[in-house]
Amino acid sequence: MNSALFHQWVFDAPVLSLCVNRRGDFVAASFADGSVRLFIANDEKDNPHTLALHDGISLSLRPDADDHAFLSGGDDGKVFILNPLTHETTLIAEHKNQWVDHVAGAVDGKHRAYNVGKKIYVLDEEGKAKFDAPLAVPSNAGDIAFSPNGKRLAVSHYNGVSLFWLNAKDATPSVLAWKGSHLDMLWSADGKILMTSMQENALHGWQISDSKEMRMQGYAAKIKSMAWTGRGKFLATAGADQIICWPFSGGGPWGKPPVTLGGQDGRLVTQVAPHPKDDMIAAGYDDGMIVLAPLDGRMEIMIHPPASGDKNTITGLVWNAGGDCLFAATETGNVLLFTIDSVRKALVHAK
Amino acid sequence: MSQIPVTVLTGYLGAGKTTLLNRILSEPHGKKYAVIVNEYGEEGIDGALVVNSDEEIFEMNNGCICCTVRGDLIRVISGLLKRSTNFDGILVETTGLADPAPVAQTFFADEEIAAKAKIDSIVTVVDAKHLPLRLKDSREAQEQIAFADVILLNKADLVSADELAGVERAIRGINRFAKIVRTTKCDVPLEQVMGLGSFDLAEILKREPDFLKGEEHHDHDHVHDEHCGHDHHHDHHDHNHISDSDISSLSLTTDKALDGVKFETWMGDLRANKGQDLLRYKGIMDIAGSEKRLVIQGVHMMMDATELAPWKAGEKRVSRLVFIGRQLDEQGLRDGFALCAA
Repeated sequence: MNSALFHQWVFDAPVLSLCVNRRGDFVAASFADGSVRLFIANDEKDNPHTLALHDGISLSLRPDADDHAFLSGGDDGKVFILNPLTHETTLIAEHKNQWVDHVAGAVDGKHRAYNVGKKIYVLDEEGKAKFDAPLAVPSNAGDIAFSPNGKRLAVSHYNGVSLFWLNAKDATPSVLAWKGSHLDMLWSADGKILMTSMQENALHGWQISDSKEMRMQGYAAKIKSMAWTGRGKFLATAGADQIICWPFSGGGPWGKPPVTLGGQDGRLVTQVAPHPKDDMIAAGYDDGMIVLAPLDGRMEIMIHPPASGDKNTITGLVWNAGGDCLFAATETGNVLLFTIDSVRKALVHAK
Repeated sequence: MSQIPVTVLTGYLGAGKTTLLNRILSEPHGKKYAVIVNEYGEEGIDGALVVNSDEEIFEMNNGCICCTVRGDLIRVISGLLKRSTNFDGILVETTGLADPAPVAQTFFADEEIAAKAKIDSIVTVVDAKHLPLRLKDSREAQEQIAFADVILLNKADLVSADELAGVERAIRGINRFAKIVRTTKCDVPLEQVMGLGSFDLAEILKREPDFLKGEEHHDHDHVHDEHCGHDHHHDHHDHNHISDSDISSLSLTTDKALDGVKFETWMGDLRANKGQDLLRYKGIMDIAGSEKRLVIQGVHMMMDATELAPWKAGEKRVSRLVFIGRQLDEQGLRDGFALCAA
């Protein structure tokens, strides 16, 4: 089987990241030339709409608090809301000569946040500052993430994570401490678990109720992508030659080995995207290969072959809400679309 | 993919770092640089992207001191590397009190940065007048000399020829391998500071095949005063120690081929036990059974080893290893190195 590709768009600049909105009907891609492109997340080929957004690049592209929009923060110090329906962009903050490293929109739609180094700015629904002064953490923020109920904001940094209550008068955080530099964060859907990826090739996590810790090591690279499978049964992670899935059902991951899928010697998983409905994980590798791996351990299906010649790292991988369209992005500037139909056809053809 | 060269600019307060930085930024060199600075006053400058960054020292691997990196550099350089704009180079200015080790280690420890950027050279600006005092009272000033590939001996016009020669001897006492350039107001052609490839032994050897053969050819480059009248005295002792600092440099040589496993074990033990005292080391090795030169390069515990072009037919194969470090155990290092012979 060669490729189950439905369509491929070729652009000039590397794709930095892919992001799907909360509704799951639009996909946004940020590029190394500063542009952001908006794709309708179905099988239409007349996509996308191109926005020349930042003077530099988008450093963080995330779903907005509004369930159809996106948020983007850049190294031009600007934060934009992107409306994929109207293609309208709204500048909501600007910090001259500084970088906006991370942006986040709360799931409950009430708050947006972004950081400039160690300062974290929280905006309310009207776009007004939530706190008199920006929230402060001891070192540059590694990431910012609202809890699923929208009541807390987690900020990762050197030596731990600071948790701020959004409705407290007092902006003093409680700190989950663990030595080392904490980067990307991911809350579980029930808000009970908070995971961080670290500068060392490892994950760290806390059970919020009692600060019980978990530490996952043995990765070959920094973990650039992690996501929960359906109902939070597994945490699927990149950063190794296989898809590493930590079991979170039945008492949590403590003392249990991970389930490993899609093993390929000499390759590195760079992106993981669990299917929104089925027990299956899409994974992209550093050589451009993409597979669909069933969680029950059945053989994975290669839906896109490794690039011949130069490595062509998969830099983004997202499903639409229905789970019938998978978007992938590459370091060389391609956006790939697979549909469940195109995968099925390729499988039949291969037989 | 070619790696973006990074020049690290160190130097004590008042030595003239900002003067050099301003020159690099304002000169019509036609290059596009990204400059990472600590609180640089001006906004944008043509042809350069200036990024402010507060120094953040991060310990990796649960507090291993030898694995400290600069967290802010990881953040800023990762951001710069995402852009499709091709920079000709990145310049990192450090504060006067900065320890150069975490800066250098950042380029070994972070894989993504190591893949896309590499240190071109560490340039240290020193004040000819005040350096002797600084070396007495400041560990950072000593380390900035120890780590340097290029030392700008600035304000050379403010001291006598004798004083200047004395300062150079003091520098050589710590670091015999750096290139010393005498300057006034940091007036030095930029090509002597940037784009040197001096952190990359493979590059140095291409350009200066005799680099490791001793310090003789590492003569000072005169930029300003061609007739300074300083004596061209060189210390030909292999190991030179001055009382103001416990940092010294040492070069080891052998024409016997080395046993690859023994050498690796010895270097591994050395790094594990003495890594904290080993500031910089580099070398080129003749490994028995291999036609290729093994090139090593390290900062504290972090080391890179790569195989370089094969030895030429008929070429005399000599292994050379240089160390710059604190309290170097000369005899121990000599003995250990000798035991690596195949």
